[in-house]
Amino acid sequence: MNRKSSSLPVNVCLCLLGLSLWGPGRETATAQPATPAPSVPSQSPSDVTAPDPAATERARLRADLERLEAQLTMLKQRLSAIEEKPTSGAEPPPADPASALAPDAPTPSVAQAAEDASAQELVTGTGPLSGYMDFHFNKRKGEDGVLDFHRFVLLFTHSFSDRIRFVSELELEHAFVEGLEEAGELELEQAYLDFLLTPKFNVRAGMLLAPVGIINERHEPPSFYGVERPFVDTVIIPSTWFDVGAGVHGDLGRGFSYRAYLMAPLDATKFTAEEGIRDGRQKGSEANVRDVALTGRLEYRARPGLVLGTSFWHGNTGFETPRIESRVGLVEFDGRYSQGRLDLRGEFAQVFIDGAGEINDVVARTTGVSPNIARQLRGFYVEGGYRLFPSTWSHDFAAFARYENFDTQFRMPAGYQPLGEFDRTAWVTGFTYYPDPDVAVKFDYVFLQNRSDIIRAPNSFNLGLGWWF
Amino acid sequence: MFRYHRLLAALSVGACLVQLASAQTPPRKVVHVVAERFAFMPSEIVVEQGTLLEIRLQSDDTNHGFRITGTKTNVIIPKRGRGTIPVLFDALTPGRFTFECSKMCGAGHTMMKGAIVVKPRADRQPPAAHPDR
Repeated sequence: MNRKSSSLPVNVCLCLLGLSLWGPGRETATAQPATPAPSVPSQSPSDVTAPDPAATERARLRADLERLEAQLTMLKQRLSAIEEKPTSGAEPPPADPASALAPDAPTPSVAQAAEDASAQELVTGTGPLSGYMDFHFNKRKGEDGVLDFHRFVLLFTHSFSDRIRFVSELELEHAFVEGLEEAGELELEQAYLDFLLTPKFNVRAGMLLAPVGIINERHEPPSFYGVERPFVDTVIIPSTWFDVGAGVHGDLGRGFSYRAYLMAPLDATKFTAEEGIRDGRQKGSEANVRDVALTGRLEYRARPGLVLGTSFWHGNTGFETPRIESRVGLVEFDGRYSQGRLDLRGEFAQVFIDGAGEINDVVARTTGVSPNIARQLRGFYVEGGYRLFPSTWSHDFAAFARYENFDTQFRMPAGYQPLGEFDRTAWVTGFTYYPDPDVAVKFDYVFLQNRSDIIRAPNSFNLGLGWWF
Repeated sequence: MFRYHRLLAALSVGACLVQLASAQTPPRKVVHVVAERFAFMPSEIVVEQGTLLEIRLQSDDTNHGFRITGTKTNVIIPKRGRGTIPVLFDALTPGRFTFECSKMCGAGHTMMKGAIVVKPRADRQPPAAHPDR
């Protein structure tokens, strides 16, 4: 009896001690500023939903202690950051993620994160300068091989504030540019200001990429299969399609996002039979905007790995031929799906040119040669790729095949006949080796065919090296 | 005897802690977010006020950044196949908290955004108004 009665006060005292020790911790956790607590990497226990109530409680207790520990670590980091030289700019300071993994944060999450990705890996490439390069070897059947530094692209960004950003993309094509030479091009493909207002509504102005198709806005070499971009994204959708303009964009929630721009129109007098509307881009160089074009894209991310998109372009194109009512309309549908190591994508695009016959007549009278442009162009492709290495490996290897059908004379204006050489199909097959997710060593072979009995489309063998940083 | 006292004391404190923990530990929610050019999937995360949100970030292509505007949270998401990085968000205040990619990742980098929506806790909402009669 005495023993029991004497143990009671001790127990009560210890409980009170426990309560007093517990209280400040929880108080600290809840007495956060109005803004949410800065986060620190942490590991949630996998037994949060364990069926055993005692185990669940233990897990919750452990999680709470873990969180307090993480907050302590965060406070330590803040203190260190204050003591160290302050960083500036919108890009994350290189030390940020690494410091989150610093040895003074020995939470289970740290160990996990350090295991998943080394600190060195996490801090690479955090500067304001980015870019990509494309280096190709192309060998067409019956022709000499060509070694070409196809693209050298630098992207510069700057944040004036959280709400005003600048993005630019400067591209040097084919390595060398001399006045009026056709071999190379120096292009300002993007240079715009973003005014970020709300997630659903933001304003953008400057040199913009037309939000049409898969490739035009996603053309970094490691992000697509094949040495060259798909034919459909070259001759039906004239990637890289850029021009001056302004518009709005945003994320509508539930997986939907949109872009809608007013842009400088195409010049119909530059259209060709072989490459469709491609040469009609004004490229923001003293662009004639007597009329403007409207373009837009709606994207839907239905579930992880699945992206569906549709886009359009509509605008008058006859500013060089004022007496002709000429318009270009384009509709496009695309989808991408990635599941595990399987990648699938497909795209369909059709172009409508009003007044094509009149444009052919006017250009023929002016230059002596009819461009023989069509009133409709159409193309589509389907592509499948499979990554062969386990996803846990740091390098990867993918094999792919793509079928393309594209016709730049799909429907001709009255009085004009389509030429079979412009109705083309292509099988592109090859592989890509990724020594790093941002470096792609590519090989492919293109079986190109057309419907002409006279002019044969040459097959080609291509090697490429592309990288993003 | 002394050991017996210590054991009892430890058990008592343990019981108190477990009781307190079960009463005060906020609910925890784990959400996996995949980043790829130029979107987060999912791009909107909805939690109830008081939830401790753990966001496990993973990339499907290159390095991306994950920055919650208005906070110090700013981490680099490892490249594809290089693992995940967890981030904690204590949803103490109702509201909409925007997150974005903070590492230049390509042409559409500035479109890569999302939001954490913290809804007021049900027991803190004012009682529903009586409908007009």
